[in-house]
Amino acid sequence: MDTFLALEIIALALTGLLIWHSASTRGAAFTWIFFLGGAFLGLVRENVVAKIAALNLYSYNPATFHLWVGAAPLILMVFWSYTIYLALTFSEVIAGGDLISGKRRVWAILLSMIFMASYACLNEAFAGIYPMVLWKFKPALTIWGGTPAMVLWGYAGMALIFLLALLLVYKLRIRTVYRVMIFCASVIVMIPLHLLWIAIFRLATSAIG
Amino acid sequence: MNSRNKTPNFFIREIPLVVLLVFWVIYAGIEIIRDRFDLLTSIIPAGLFIIAYVLARLTSKEGKGGG
Repeated sequence: MDTFLALEIIALALTGLLIWHSASTRGAAFTWIFFLGGAFLGLVRENVVAKIAALNLYSYNPATFHLWVGAAPLILMVFWSYTIYLALTFSEVIAGGDLISGKRRVWAILLSMIFMASYACLNEAFAGIYPMVLWKFKPALTIWGGTPAMVLWGYAGMALIFLLALLLVYKLRIRTVYRVMIFCASVIVMIPLHLLWIAIFRLATSAIG
Repeated sequence: MNSRNKTPNFFIREIPLVVLLVFWVIYAGIEIIRDRFDLLTSIIPAGLFIIAYVLARLTSKEGKGGG
């Protein structure tokens, strides 16, 4: 079996473990909202980024990924979910906080953003080997392997936007199925917000290049 | 409103740590094999979070917990 196909399957299986953890510790409603919303966000966002040339960001390497949904690798269906879930869980334990109940919420979110940037370092160094991503622009600032520094900023911003949206939707006093649908629909707001977040960094660093 | 509804056993509680460790080892391992390893990006950032998480668990007064 191809090494990368094995990695894709491992990532899907590990996400399954995280879904089990979430259902066991946070309940069914949180789990449905978080992981279905994350799947929807991943697939829609990455298809938008890959297909809209005007964004001038990146596309995914067809020689690397095996399983696709449109222009996005299938793995993106779980990628944002599992990274943000790890970020939130680690941050809540480290800060002694809880996003939903409000205990040290700001610290939990800030630490989640830092976790995401840290995970971006690990992930993007790995991604550069295959490469997973074909960049469409020459970045002003790069980290190891030529990865745009914007990526760290982008991962952190995704955690911020996703967790705030999750918090807003989770707190709604309506049936879970409606909260899931609203959170999935909210990607049409989350995606432009995240693209704006990235654009701010690119604008701020453009003078350096 | 609290999202936590149960106190899980040790094995379920530490699933996130296991998942991150697996990703960490696989990514860093492949980077070493492909001669693209860099301590600053491959090990340190995620490693610091793992250390902080373990320390937080060890020093937690509650001993148990959700996330």
